Amino acid sequence: MKLPISWLREYVDIGDITPEELSDKLLSIGFEVEEIIKPRDDIKGVVVGHVEAIERNPNSDKLWICRIDIGGEVAQIVTGAQNVSLGDYVPVATVGAELPGGKKIVPAKLRGVDSYGMLCSGEELCVDDDVIDGASVDGILILPQGSKTGEDIMRTLGIDDTVLDVSITANRPDCQAVVNLAREIAISLGKKFKQPKLTYKTCDVQTALPTVKISDKELCSRYIGRAVVDIKIEKSPKWMRDRLRMCGIRPINNIVDITNYVLLEYGQPLHAFDMSVIKGGIEVRKGGTGEKVVALDGKEYAVDGTLVIADGEKPLAIAGVMGGEHTSIMPSTNTVFLEAARFERSNIRRTSKKLGLRSDSSARFEKGVDWQSVELGSERALALFDLLGCGKVTATVTADAVPAPEQKTVVTTKQEICGLLGIDIDKKTIVDLLKRQGVTVKSEGKKLVCAIPLVREDIDGYADLAEDVMRFYGYDNIIATNSENTHQTCGGLNTHDINTKAVKARLFALGADEILNYSFVSPDAADMLMLDNDDALRCVIAIKNPLSRDTSVMRTQLVSPMLSSMARNVTRKNDVLRFFELGKVFVADKLPIEELPQERDTLCIGLCNDGDFYTLKSMVREVAAVFGKELEFFDCNKTYLHPKQTLGFRCGGMTGYLGKIHPLVCENYGLPSEVYVAEIDIADALSSPVGIAKYAPISKLPPVDRDLALVVERGVPVGTMLAAAKATDPRIVDVKLFDIYEGEQIPDGYKSVAFSMRLQPSETTFSDTEIKSIVDRVISVTSDKFGAKLR
Amino acid sequence: MYDIQSIREQMLAKLEGVSTEREIADLKSTMFGKSGTVTGLMRELKDLPPDQKPRAGKEINDLRVELSAACDVKEKALHRAAIERTLAADEIDLTIDKPVRSVGAEHPLNQIRNKLTDYFVGNGYIVYDSPEIETDYYNFQALNIPPDHPARDMQDTFFLGNGLLLRSQTSCGQVRLMEKVKPPLKMICPGRVFRNDDDSSHSPVFHQMEGLVVDKNVTLCDLKGALDGFAKFIFGEKTRIRFRPSYFPFTEPSVEVDVSCFNCGGDGCRVCKNTGWIEILGAGMVNRKVLENCGIDPDVYHGFAFGVGLDRIAMIQCAIDDIKHLWENDVRFLRQFAKGE
Repeated sequence: MKLPISWLREYVDIGDITPEELSDKLLSIGFEVEEIIKPRDDIKGVVVGHVEAIERNPNSDKLWICRIDIGGEVAQIVTGAQNVSLGDYVPVATVGAELPGGKKIVPAKLRGVDSYGMLCSGEELCVDDDVIDGASVDGILILPQGSKTGEDIMRTLGIDDTVLDVSITANRPDCQAVVNLAREIAISLGKKFKQPKLTYKTCDVQTALPTVKISDKELCSRYIGRAVVDIKIEKSPKWMRDRLRMCGIRPINNIVDITNYVLLEYGQPLHAFDMSVIKGGIEVRKGGTGEKVVALDGKEYAVDGTLVIADGEKPLAIAGVMGGEHTSIMPSTNTVFLEAARFERSNIRRTSKKLGLRSDSSARFEKGVDWQSVELGSERALALFDLLGCGKVTATVTADAVPAPEQKTVVTTKQEICGLLGIDIDKKTIVDLLKRQGVTVKSEGKKLVCAIPLVREDIDGYADLAEDVMRFYGYDNIIATNSENTHQTCGGLNTHDINTKAVKARLFALGADEILNYSFVSPDAADMLMLDNDDALRCVIAIKNPLSRDTSVMRTQLVSPMLSSMARNVTRKNDVLRFFELGKVFVADKLPIEELPQERDTLCIGLCNDGDFYTLKSMVREVAAVFGKELEFFDCNKTYLHPKQTLGFRCGGMTGYLGKIHPLVCENYGLPSEVYVAEIDIADALSSPVGIAKYAPISKLPPVDRDLALVVERGVPVGTMLAAAKATDPRIVDVKLFDIYEGEQIPDGYKSVAFSMRLQPSETTFSDTEIKSIVDRVISVTSDKFGAKLR
Repeated sequence: MYDIQSIREQMLAKLEGVSTEREIADLKSTMFGKSGTVTGLMRELKDLPPDQKPRAGKEINDLRVELSAACDVKEKALHRAAIERTLAADEIDLTIDKPVRSVGAEHPLNQIRNKLTDYFVGNGYIVYDSPEIETDYYNFQALNIPPDHPARDMQDTFFLGNGLLLRSQTSCGQVRLMEKVKPPLKMICPGRVFRNDDDSSHSPVFHQMEGLVVDKNVTLCDLKGALDGFAKFIFGEKTRIRFRPSYFPFTEPSVEVDVSCFNCGGDGCRVCKNTGWIEILGAGMVNRKVLENCGIDPDVYHGFAFGVGLDRIAMIQCAIDDIKHLWENDVRFLRQFAKGE
């Protein structure tokens, strides 16, 4: 909310406090000043000058030589303007002055005559008739007689004000009003708050004021109508226009300006109807089927089910949002019907949203208008009508309302307040600080019985009062204590976090960098991965109000974000990558979702030009090892993986697959061909506690190593064969493949598989016969199962 | 009698002349081999008269021990010399590198998250995980934000329909925990949160860490103590914190918490926009309605809660100028965090 300092000064004597100091004060009581705005900081060194003498420049037909009193000294200035006369007051840019656009004034010689400064036009000062009469003429801006010689022109023109842009928290809608914010400032500065003038003369003119009927008391709890007759529509006075403009509202005419002025000053939206077009009584009701309002913006709105202000014939205005064109103030308007009402905030919010129509009024109502400001706002507007002399206030008033709400009472104690804060504040101070905020406090023994002013709808209990005491007592008085009076607790990481750390530690050791991606992806990811139409991964939860299509569905897999991240790096010429992401995917059993979906912790590992299928296979084995598990591998198909280089795997708590990215998917993402990805649902593993491994006794007997080379058909799966070899005897503790060879000396269609076995005796050292029998068994088993022949 | 002395001198002289490991092996064989000189002496001993045997035996044995020791010394010296000659051939270029596989880098955001988690865990807090997709109840209503409450405008929420949404704050974790666990409790709830906001300083996905302490006698001063310790841990021992009043529906009183600028120490600089302070988190005393909603008697228990933006802390700590870096996964960015500072 915009607070012009000149306006504030009207209600609080703030002395010579600077805007910066004022901002700090506001911050300390809960109002952050987002910006200190100096609406005009583009004029420097321009003062009011008085023309003491003027004569033609003898060397020119058009130039005049003026002697100008600029306050204590007289400057000789040559001007080419023809509208300056002896005795005029004019804006003078003195030597060294700066004008809008960055122009700097230096001494000059015009047609042989020295000139020390420049007389300014309205245009040169960037002001027009709206700021001061005469500013728009072609020539020098002639200031009113009696202007103060030597005064800074900014002040003379009323453009020297500073505006604070104050952020008002949602609990204090009352402070969306100059007077209420001024009251807070007065308390914090220890100054007196001066109430604006609320008095006015009334006339005896009898007007047939429309009756008011509120049909929907839930949505409109108060409505006051007043009539102002003999309306004279004209421009409102400069001070009012200046303030409106500084607060971002365009001045229109005195009547509209008064309503806007009160909106800013009291936070009470008002609406002025041309009373002559109101037919019959006013009714606050919901619009019926087919009813429409042409609003002040010239657009037509269907108001079926929307709260409207209607007369006997039709809706006139969209309640609290915008008036109708039909009843708006026209140059011919003679009588104004002034509405001040209290509309329920959430209904205004919904209406505004539904119609796509927001106004200063609706924005204000959405935040909440309290009971009292309806009356105060109405009275203040009438006082302004009177002050401006733009209409006569009639004595008649029409009001309809539910009974005034009762003042809330909060009963508390000093102990309760101090117990929450943790510091001791004496009772007198507490009572005093509350009283200054309008709270009526009665002391009954230990109890403090506090009656809360209606304007403070946010106050509900002693915690709110504690806050209001602290705001003015000063939060700097809160000291830091270390929970000395509370219980000791035993904290700690949970299993999930401990396991997550362990998995990540292993992946870091394996050289993978951790990446993070948004939890939502583009729905196009499914097509980029060439998912089948019935693929469960297509069952995505959609966001109703996404930022963009690219971030509009919750991810069901981590592969597409992984590939996108890699592709981004590849386009930046970084194409050797080893990444992992450990994050959630969102699994819906059905769409649209009706209850919370499963959030599954998922691990995705990706390699780009950094290792092959076997690298990745070893990496997933390492991850399983964190949980003490051996992986079981099985055949598996994924549309986005290479059909010949894909494996599924599982172990207790983990299930996943790994493979090479399908060349077509690489093309979709703009990736090179050597990209491998593994994706693992790791949720169950992460949530089960993992122990430290148990020691297995180490044999003291020396092991024996034996190498074998077997020739098998090319298609024989070597891993399976070696596993079978190992399984032939428990004394074979390790089998290591060291060569697969095809070529010379090996028949076509066959390969030689060379491996080494470590044999470990358990009780006594091996005899040669024992070793031979173990090796022979391996040869015979591989021969039977895989057709292997000793090379 | 055998001239042991001359044999001794003869053998020692030969030993002196030996210059290779091979030669010394041969020499040893001429002394101690089957037909070696010393072996021969031992063999001839048996032919001596019994009265001479003991003396001769001792002399021969002394000779054998002496020569054997002398051979060992010479042998070791020659072996060492032989090895040292091969070392020269092992010379390598010490100026080049053959790097090992680098250890992977933890994302800076998670480094910060772990650092903060460790701090609070050490102070008796448990870590609680709460869902990212939430119901309107846990994200708003239970936190004292009824439908149409203006505070809903404070957070641009992503909606999923049927009263479900992406949580806009980790505060939901407070409610979920307090429904299950009764005081005294101390917890943090770190995690992702979502808001419909995207510009140079906001990302639609970001990370918060909620903190909650509920017990009898918890005060606003205790909140300041907790946050003061935290701020000093993160930003250094000289850091001060400042409370200023604010508003959150789920706390009362509510405060914004600023830390003294780590760059200028509070004098005012570019980092703190000349205010000397940097806003880092929101906090307050748990609103009694929130306690009531979770079945905790607000007349018996007080609580404090705070919510830290982890992304902001990470950006401050790591001097990251654009929030987009946190999400682009540019490997040149990530690798910078494989080492400490």
